[in-house]
Amino acid sequence: MTEVLSDFIRALRAADVRITTSEAIEAGATLALIGYEDRELLRQGLAQALSKSVDEKQAFFETFDSFFAFRSFSEGGGAQGAAGEDDKGAPGEGQSPGGEQGEQQGEAEGQGGQPSGKASGQGMGAGESEPAERESLVDLLERGDRAALQERLADAARRVNLNDIRFFTQRGMFAVRILNLMGVEEVDDVIAAAEASDDPGERGRGERLHAARTALREEVRDYVEKQLAIFAANAGRKLREEILADTRLNAIDRSDMRIMQELVRKMAKRLIALHARRRRIARRGQLDIRRTIRANIEYDGLLFHTVWKRRRLERPKVMALCDVSGSVSQTARFLLMFLYSLHEVLPNVRSFAFSGNLGEVTELFEHNDVDYAMAETLSRFGGSTDYAEALETFERLAGDEVDHRTTVLILGDARNNNGEPRADILRKIHDRARRVIFLNPEPRSSWNTGDSVMRKYEACCDTAQVCATLKDLERVVSDLMRTAI
Amino acid sequence: MTSGDSVADIRGRLGEIGYICDAGIATALYLCRELDKPLLIEGPPGVGKTELAKAAASITGRPLIRLQCYEGLDETKALYEWKYGKQLLYTQVLKEKLGDLLQGAKGLKDSLGRLHEFDDTFFSEEFLEPRPLLKALWEKDGAVLLIDEIDKADDEFEAFLLELLSDYQISVPELGTIKARTTPLVFLTSNNKRELGDALKRRCLHLHIPFPDMALEQAIIKSRVPQAEPRLRAQLVSFVQGLRKLDLKKLPAVSETIDWARTLVLLNAKDLQPDLVRSTLNVLLKYQDDIVEAEPEVGGLIATAHKEAEYRAIN
Repeated sequence: MTEVLSDFIRALRAADVRITTSEAIEAGATLALIGYEDRELLRQGLAQALSKSVDEKQAFFETFDSFFAFRSFSEGGGAQGAAGEDDKGAPGEGQSPGGEQGEQQGEAEGQGGQPSGKASGQGMGAGESEPAERESLVDLLERGDRAALQERLADAARRVNLNDIRFFTQRGMFAVRILNLMGVEEVDDVIAAAEASDDPGERGRGERLHAARTALREEVRDYVEKQLAIFAANAGRKLREEILADTRLNAIDRSDMRIMQELVRKMAKRLIALHARRRRIARRGQLDIRRTIRANIEYDGLLFHTVWKRRRLERPKVMALCDVSGSVSQTARFLLMFLYSLHEVLPNVRSFAFSGNLGEVTELFEHNDVDYAMAETLSRFGGSTDYAEALETFERLAGDEVDHRTTVLILGDARNNNGEPRADILRKIHDRARRVIFLNPEPRSSWNTGDSVMRKYEACCDTAQVCATLKDLERVVSDLMRTAI
Repeated sequence: MTSGDSVADIRGRLGEIGYICDAGIATALYLCRELDKPLLIEGPPGVGKTELAKAAASITGRPLIRLQCYEGLDETKALYEWKYGKQLLYTQVLKEKLGDLLQGAKGLKDSLGRLHEFDDTFFSEEFLEPRPLLKALWEKDGAVLLIDEIDKADDEFEAFLLELLSDYQISVPELGTIKARTTPLVFLTSNNKRELGDALKRRCLHLHIPFPDMALEQAIIKSRVPQAEPRLRAQLVSFVQGLRKLDLKKLPAVSETIDWARTLVLLNAKDLQPDLVRSTLNVLLKYQDDIVEAEPEVGGLIATAHKEAEYRAIN
């Protein structure tokens, strides 16, 4: 497999396209078959071998376009921007994204990545040793040989392992290393000598070289920037997601909301994949003797076919009661978002919001965007918290529908403003429901302090747990799905 | 489609038999043949996923063997089944012949020895009833195997396909491994009802067929409904393309466009007229909600379609 291809695959992985080794081998075979001549053919062929869903296809095409972008040193990059340079520049333009053309050709013809294919590639192997007959950078800059410059840049980039770049803070370091490897020190010396000299001709040369060096620096910085975009597309975001998943939900900044929503969607998707399978397994029941005998009459009553009883699929019912006052509202928002992202495996979710009074918000969340639904809920049910009133209303509204298949989720801080807790209503619900789960965003140490009546409620619940971060939420919901099925 | 055909050749051959496609689809067929890999085709319903397999069968001259997936499909329906009836008869015949076989045998040991020498065909290929997958493997000159709507089958069935897809062989516990006589061309289609497993995806090339763009769809209509005049063709394709931009439950696909074009030709339409469109909208849209949603837009879409057709006629 060529280095280009493996670099490309790394870039794809950075862009969230999952590629296994066998797929990489596949891509190598595809490449050997179609070669590099027809860009569109290559694009389609690799897409079919490497990306396996619509989302991945999109990411693939974006990465392909930026990775195999034809780039060369910009006009005037050399000390003499003479017209004659265009002829020299032309072959350089075909070299994507560096000087690997030779290797690519070798690979396509050799059909199997023999080392000889690499070695024949313009002597630009990835070896650490300096090529013996290397032209000095000064000459290259003075001639303005863009193809050779491009080649040397790509070579240097490979030797400093530019494709390991992960964070934008590494840009400067990589740029300096590449410049040094390209031999910029020599240029510095020549410029210094020229500037110190008295000869006006020599001075002019120094100025031209100075300009060329500046252009080269920009070129290198650009190149590093592009490679960073390709190879570290999602590294920063991934780190941030990891941190956000562990941050307390009510401390999350508004600017991170978008990432959070994306994160919830991802977690939900994972849970769906995990539990969809479990549900099918749970469906296999016992041998259905009557139907087995009937099915085997044609074989003279010998039981060849077995027919299994199918256990009826239990649709888990979830009723979520969310306190939407003050600090709890943020957690409520994410809980509801989570529950509605799981529609595929949890089709029966009814949600209620309360603080002063309680009302059903199922419709609101089913048909609207979360932001709108949350704002609407807050304006309808905001106010000072009254758990007793909320529980009473819930009992009246939906109490009859709580049965042995229903899981009741209550999310709140149990701070009742010193009112009557009415835990007896909760006990009644608990007796009828399959489970009552109390989620409290406060840390356990502050439960039962001040006006918190957590102790009373805890006694009437199957489980009471802390739920402050997205990870906690995921755990709760996953648990919910496991036992609800 | 024989070995050595280039992508352009394949595209031409497909066009000859009336399957108009873009470079991506032709590339997929090419790779799938050259790399001996199954091809997983995804895309909205009605864009020609199943048709592609049929077209491939037609240009290769191989028989098409189709397996329609559904929930509860298992190996006895997809792969093979023992001919139980015949096996029962066989044991009965065997019982009768047992006397002849054991004649003159001395003692139990001798009898058993003779029984073991006797050629046992109870589990042999003669008693095997081939189902589509096995049929495809047994086909001498190779077949085109279409596993349709794999997303409707259960996870277990998907797992069971893996051996076939990676090695073109299947294991029958009583017989051992059965290898393909000639590697078949395998197509799997999916409407994405559920996410397919990674293991399956990894073994296949993946082709996503989106709705066609304006030019391609016109070419398709031209090939499929040649009676439609160029002006009507341009108008109706533009109308359908416009319709796909609306927020509908089920967007009209290519097959619907073809049906609609046929309907319009049958009704002798030369031009899109609002009344005509409204009365035939049910050919394009399959949900009442969608028809209600689209009806107010009909006027605007027709106007755009007329303009676009004229623009094309001028250029």
